[in-house]
Amino acid sequence: MASEVTFATASIRLENLTKQYKDVLAVDDLTLEVEPGTLVCLLGPSGCGKTTTLRMIAGFEDPTAGRILIGDEDVTEMPPYSRPTAMVFQSYALFPHMTVYENVAYGLKARRTPKDEIPGKVQEALALMELVGQDEKSPPQLSGGQQQRVALARALVIRPKVLLFDEPLSNLDAQLRVRMRSELRDIQHRLGISSVYVTHDQEEAFSIADRVAIMNQGKLTQLGSPIDLYQRPADRFVAEFVGLSNVVPAELLGSNDKGADIRVFGQEIHSLQAPSDPKGPVSVVLRPEAIEILSGSKGAVPARVRSMAYVGPLLRYMVAVEGDGTELMVDLSNPRMDEFYEDGAEVSLNLPKEVPALLS
Amino acid sequence: MANSISLSERIRNHRPLLIIAVVQIVVLTLVAMWVMDIVIVEDTREVVDGVETITFRRELIGDPLLFVLAAIGMSLPLLSSRLRREPVMMLAVQLAIVALLIFVLWPVAQVFVEGFESTEVEGTYSLEHFQRLLTKPMVARATRNTLWLGVTSATLSTMIGAVVAYTLTLTDIPWKRWLRILVVITLISPPFAVSFAFILLFGRRGLITYDILGIQEWSIYGADGIILVQLISNIPLAVLILMAVFASMNRDLEDAAEDLGAKTFRVLRTITFPLVTPALLTAWLLNFISSISDFGNPMLIGGGFQLLAPQAFIQRVELFDPQLSAALAMLLVIPALIAFGAQHRISNRRSYVTVTGGARTGHVRKLPGWFKWPLFSIVLFLGLFNLLLYGSIFVGALVKNWGFDYTPTADHLQALLVTANQLKNSLVVAIAAGLLGGFIGIGLAWLVSRQRFPGRGALDFSGTLMYAIPGTVVGIGYIIAFNAAPYLFTGTFLIIIIAYAFRRLPVGLRSGVAADKQIDPSLEEASLDLGASRPRTFAKITFPLLRTAFFAGVIYIFIRSMTDLSSAIFLSSAKTQLFTVQMFNVMVRGSASQAAAFAALLIVIILLALGILGRITGKSFVDVFRIA
Repeated sequence: MASEVTFATASIRLENLTKQYKDVLAVDDLTLEVEPGTLVCLLGPSGCGKTTTLRMIAGFEDPTAGRILIGDEDVTEMPPYSRPTAMVFQSYALFPHMTVYENVAYGLKARRTPKDEIPGKVQEALALMELVGQDEKSPPQLSGGQQQRVALARALVIRPKVLLFDEPLSNLDAQLRVRMRSELRDIQHRLGISSVYVTHDQEEAFSIADRVAIMNQGKLTQLGSPIDLYQRPADRFVAEFVGLSNVVPAELLGSNDKGADIRVFGQEIHSLQAPSDPKGPVSVVLRPEAIEILSGSKGAVPARVRSMAYVGPLLRYMVAVEGDGTELMVDLSNPRMDEFYEDGAEVSLNLPKEVPALLS
Repeated sequence: MANSISLSERIRNHRPLLIIAVVQIVVLTLVAMWVMDIVIVEDTREVVDGVETITFRRELIGDPLLFVLAAIGMSLPLLSSRLRREPVMMLAVQLAIVALLIFVLWPVAQVFVEGFESTEVEGTYSLEHFQRLLTKPMVARATRNTLWLGVTSATLSTMIGAVVAYTLTLTDIPWKRWLRILVVITLISPPFAVSFAFILLFGRRGLITYDILGIQEWSIYGADGIILVQLISNIPLAVLILMAVFASMNRDLEDAAEDLGAKTFRVLRTITFPLVTPALLTAWLLNFISSISDFGNPMLIGGGFQLLAPQAFIQRVELFDPQLSAALAMLLVIPALIAFGAQHRISNRRSYVTVTGGARTGHVRKLPGWFKWPLFSIVLFLGLFNLLLYGSIFVGALVKNWGFDYTPTADHLQALLVTANQLKNSLVVAIAAGLLGGFIGIGLAWLVSRQRFPGRGALDFSGTLMYAIPGTVVGIGYIIAFNAAPYLFTGTFLIIIIAYAFRRLPVGLRSGVAADKQIDPSLEEASLDLGASRPRTFAKITFPLLRTAFFAGVIYIFIRSMTDLSSAIFLSSAKTQLFTVQMFNVMVRGSASQAAAFAALLIVIILLALGILGRITGKSFVDVFRIA
């Protein structure tokens, strides 16, 4: 039954959206399009304006300038209750004085759905979220994960054209978060409903989104698929925020429209993309897993081990490049017994021969 | 091994128990000396052969029952093995039990006992006063009036208070900072100053009714007047309770409702209102208690409208019928206790307003103008009206004779010098009561919120009970309980100080408990772990952290004691005259302008006290009264 649910969805377009509080420019000239049926993550550090953007889409904040369109309809001036949006709150915002059933039915009643249709729709939404039989419980009796499902059921039951998520998983523990994340993704995919998802967790954003919009200080820094962002970060902020922490300056040897050649720590590297400014200084992102670490002086760049740590399944070394002392992060998966190096051990590195892009 | 322990070691091992045993004996002896006495009385007198032989016997007087109760109360914490290991804690708990028993429960119980005491045969009890009560139309009328007044006044003030609190917390109206102060400003004056200001403005020679509007047939005296005055006095309490609740409400809930399609009124009706219902009930019940306990306002503005609290006073002091007075007091206590019990239940239930992680609180809603501006005008009207009331008091003090001659003069201010003595008495009593009540409150708060022992709930309840007891009943209860030997301290300053300290203890206790909850218990545990004793931990860690709550409690009790009339009128005597009693007499019998000078002085003193508090703790007067 659940798979039969289909939604009339729509695109979301934000045009030059700006929000100015008294002395803070929270959102600065943001233009963004969410294609029908896709999920876009707004990702950024706290205070970057992502939640404000989401709340403007829902109608809780008035933009200082700019327009919001859902489908072809300009909703900028529309009060929240008239917009075809439904939000899942960080706190879930389940009404504590109502049962699960009443919570889910709330939006239907508020939208004056004929009385005889309400029970069916509520049960359908509960079934979709695997909450059958929980109708008469009150929200505090449910576990965090169940509350999350009720919040989603309550949002879905009104058949919104757009779903909005405000850090919905941040109140769950780590394991449940990973499970709920794929479940959310699954349901969003199945229903094909345009969604905007706010988070500050890079891993969460990359695993759930079709496209990720990185925001910093109110501005949209980069919009792209997770792979795009990973391979071709637009600037140092993006590179560091998506977890690639080796950003090192490079010497530009020459460039043409097919790419560029650079030198880093004496090793030559080819970039598949030319820098935007052929004369300016360039930097390169070296992904930790793309650097090879070798004992003795087998590699090209001599270095010394600073520290070693297990990060999940990886062995992560911090090494200092011999000479200028630049610190690099090097990840090693499946280390062999002879690949464990003591702190202070002299090692050498092989940098990747090819990188997708340069930062300027 | 056990056999080889020497006697001295054995004593050392049981030192706490030995200390506790000694303390028991000392405390019980002191209690016994306080509540009982042995006097020598004449037994028989015989004249044999012209020689008169008088035999005497010893007789026990006082309250052996109270002693037995104290002994039972003290034995409760002995059951706790934790406390048995810590003599200092044990002593603190036992002293708290004994103090609350003697100064809270016993005087209140006396009101009930005296109501049943027979006037014909001493030492016997009967229902005669209640039979007398039933036959008197006054009693039925006063009871009916009191309940009607309580319900009407509480309902109206809670409703208006809710509207005002909502507007001041959750809407984006202008001048919020000033309006917040203006709508609750009447908290700081003695309650009957409000009715006095009403008389100045709307009385027979009132500025507005007589001089401006020229109305002569209508009179503010009576039920309407009391209701209006009580609204002005009680709305602030409702506003404070509800503002706190609105401010801490999870705003996501309203946003979610709106997001799901609910419009302004539907959000209010289905989300906001149900969420604040417990707070509304609390405000209603507290205002109900405050309304039926009110003594000063009905005395001033009540006209012929008979109510229980003033009647209890009139029966005792003017008609010399103490039993009937006690019976009336009982009728007054019963509904107050019921309301208090209900309030206790509500506040112990888990609140809906608790906020989970990531929720936004206190966000201002943007609301449509047709909704916002009417709300704003209600708040503005209330604020300006309060300003007008206070203004009339200050202006009244500076004119020759309000209502007749509005020429400016400083005569009335000079005349205040005559009352320097009463003023000094009041200040001393209020400061002493404030300190005493503040210390007991903070200590008791710590005991009930941080320690576990049998009788803890009862201790907490007795500490809060006085909140429900009208001031008149406290006065009557203290007189009955402590009038006779062996106490004999009616007519002293001490009885007034103790009465005030214990009467306002609930506020000190509650603010202490609230502050305790803010303090991470691990701070105390760290101190104990590092080797500090309990008293040292309390003095060096807990108390400094509770300092703000303590000073707030002291200032609150000071202000309430400075402005009290209902207990003072029973407890003050020729030797212990108090400022408010004097002021009340002038208001009833003297010139309006002279009375206004009294009220103005009192308001200035209170403002100074609040200024001092602000200096010490950085708290505003709104914070002080929020703890109530």
